[in-house]
Amino acid sequence: MSEVKKKNTTKINYLSKITLKLLGNEKWQHLRIPAFLILLSFIAASIIIIILGKNPLGAFYNLLQGAGILPKPSYAGYKSMLTDFLTLLNFMTPMIFASLAVAIALKGGLFNIGVSGQMLLAGYFATIIVGYSGLSSIMAKPLVLIIGIMAGAGLGGIIGLLKFKFNINEVVSSIMFNYIIQYVLSFFIHSYYIDPVSRQSKYINEAARLTLVNVELSGLKMDFSIGFIIAIILAIILKIFIDKSRIGFEIKAVGSNPKGAKYAGINVGKTMILTMVLSGAFAGLAGVTYYLGYYASIQPKVLPSMGFDAIAVALLGNANPYGIIASSFIVSIIDKGSTYMSSIAGVRQEIASVITGLILLFSACGAYIQFKIRSSKDKLEYKAGKELEE
Amino acid sequence: MDMLIIDGLSFALPLFIMAIGGIYSERSGITNLAIEGLQGFGAFFGALSVVLGAHFFNIPVQKLFYLALFLAMVGGMLFSILHALLCIHFKANQVISGVVINILAMALTVFLTTQINSIVFGAMSDKFQIGTSSRFTVPGISEIPILGAVFKNIYPFEVVILIIAIFAGYVLNKTRFGLRLRACGDNPHSVDAAGAEVSKIQFKAVMVSGALSGLGGICFAYSISTNFSPAIYMGYGYLAIAALIFGNWKVLPTFGACLLFGFARAGGYFIGQILKMPSTFSDLIMTLPYVLTLLLLIFFSKSNRAPRALGEIYDKGKR
Repeated sequence: MSEVKKKNTTKINYLSKITLKLLGNEKWQHLRIPAFLILLSFIAASIIIIILGKNPLGAFYNLLQGAGILPKPSYAGYKSMLTDFLTLLNFMTPMIFASLAVAIALKGGLFNIGVSGQMLLAGYFATIIVGYSGLSSIMAKPLVLIIGIMAGAGLGGIIGLLKFKFNINEVVSSIMFNYIIQYVLSFFIHSYYIDPVSRQSKYINEAARLTLVNVELSGLKMDFSIGFIIAIILAIILKIFIDKSRIGFEIKAVGSNPKGAKYAGINVGKTMILTMVLSGAFAGLAGVTYYLGYYASIQPKVLPSMGFDAIAVALLGNANPYGIIASSFIVSIIDKGSTYMSSIAGVRQEIASVITGLILLFSACGAYIQFKIRSSKDKLEYKAGKELEE
Repeated sequence: MDMLIIDGLSFALPLFIMAIGGIYSERSGITNLAIEGLQGFGAFFGALSVVLGAHFFNIPVQKLFYLALFLAMVGGMLFSILHALLCIHFKANQVISGVVINILAMALTVFLTTQINSIVFGAMSDKFQIGTSSRFTVPGISEIPILGAVFKNIYPFEVVILIIAIFAGYVLNKTRFGLRLRACGDNPHSVDAAGAEVSKIQFKAVMVSGALSGLGGICFAYSISTNFSPAIYMGYGYLAIAALIFGNWKVLPTFGACLLFGFARAGGYFIGQILKMPSTFSDLIMTLPYVLTLLLLIFFSKSNRAPRALGEIYDKGKR
């Protein structure tokens, strides 16, 4: 009997006790586990950087400098830490939208991997309809948003319909759409809208752009993203919508248990399509803030990698809109700061996507970590109870 | 006409071997969207070893062909362990895990390719040049009109793939291991009750799928692109998944689906050449396999029956 007990005590070793202490508190778990995951991925990235013979801490410091969080030693004319930070926000805007698109689909039990394609489609239509027209700024900007929403929502709706009507896995169909859109739009851009010098589509008119570029203020040239404010407001609205509204509840019910939802009298097919429409709408907003905000043209034959990074962001933010604002801030820093990092520290820029990939990898285990913590906590409590009895 | 068959086959067979890998994994109950990433990583591993071998031991690249095929399988298998661990031991969502593997594989291989190129070869490039493989023609039979084209200008890997495919089909359908594997996908508890370990079988199935995906990847690198570069991530892994869904998770119908994709692609280029279309139209032709996939799925998905326990996390305690 005593031998068995001995085994049990050694089983829960000190390491797990420390992690329990750090992560066990359920009240803060939703913050601490993502922080733990990010830490893990940075440790893994550090190992890679050390193997390459570079200093990881210096590299990460440069990462923050490049993103406008920490000051650089010197700046070019009209630039400062503030302009770098505003560029970061400008870049972060489509990231928030794209991640919200992934998140709402996840809530509804669907996996929208077609965000990239939906972004490209929305950006393309907004560009050719409004971007090249001579509309005034007040007309053009709202119109861009509306077209973006409609294009994205339309494509999302088709994917939802295919899933519901024909039982086609949404992952496969949206990937097929990704490729079709990528090539077909490349054909049209190459045929009609190409700029022969930059090998991209022609620049759109300033009036249609969702970012106010080179605004001169106190001797600095800044980029103000209009979309950023919209993104924050929509994130808050989405959070309230999912938590409080009836449709939000139905989406969550279908997502967690479609059969149960059906017995409760929810129209599963309609809800599924609605989820994809909503998700597509957000992806469309991401597309217009990306192609008509951060950039002003479209690179043909390239899907925005942001649509895939958004999956990492949404998972890291636990599919919670507030969490997503925080996690897209972090992932944007990794993306934006990488250029500066590679030029100063000599670490290749591609390491940024490796770090994002690692975050993604560890986020996929997030639920497991939570489960492990709970079970080892139970074990501890059980043991404490046993000792009390004796 | 001959070109149509030759090109169609050389595209269809690598796709087919990847799809068989997918069948193994999915019949054992593990959804495998990671094929895309696995084929890329396998191709990377194979190409890397060829390039390094050529650099350090002065062996001409062409001689290392079979070694590359083998090491690509090893590489794919190694990377698939990650997917297996995530799905089976860490109980992650299998769809998400698959996509994660794809993104990570792409990021990692692109990073490592540029890094190794600059460190070892001192070149700024994101490619490993491995050259095309040689081709051979079977004398005699290849003279038969039309059908003879099947035996004309064959890549050696096509033969390798066919042999492995037949063997894999035999194992899946005729052996005890195959029976248990299929049972894992339909009713894992019965396998457990029969005294076999479900997680072990699933682990093996995912590793097989990784190896076969790696083989498919290196074949694409040898035939279509003649190098390893980020362009290997063209979505062929997803095409393989579509093929196996279309083939109802069975080996022979899946072969038919792959042939269809191969001929659709070759046919598109063929038509483009005949009509002398400008090169921008090649973008439109590139969409053919994808459009075809969608259309086929619309018609066939409904009658398909996926393995019953596909995508479910196996829980021993659940009855």
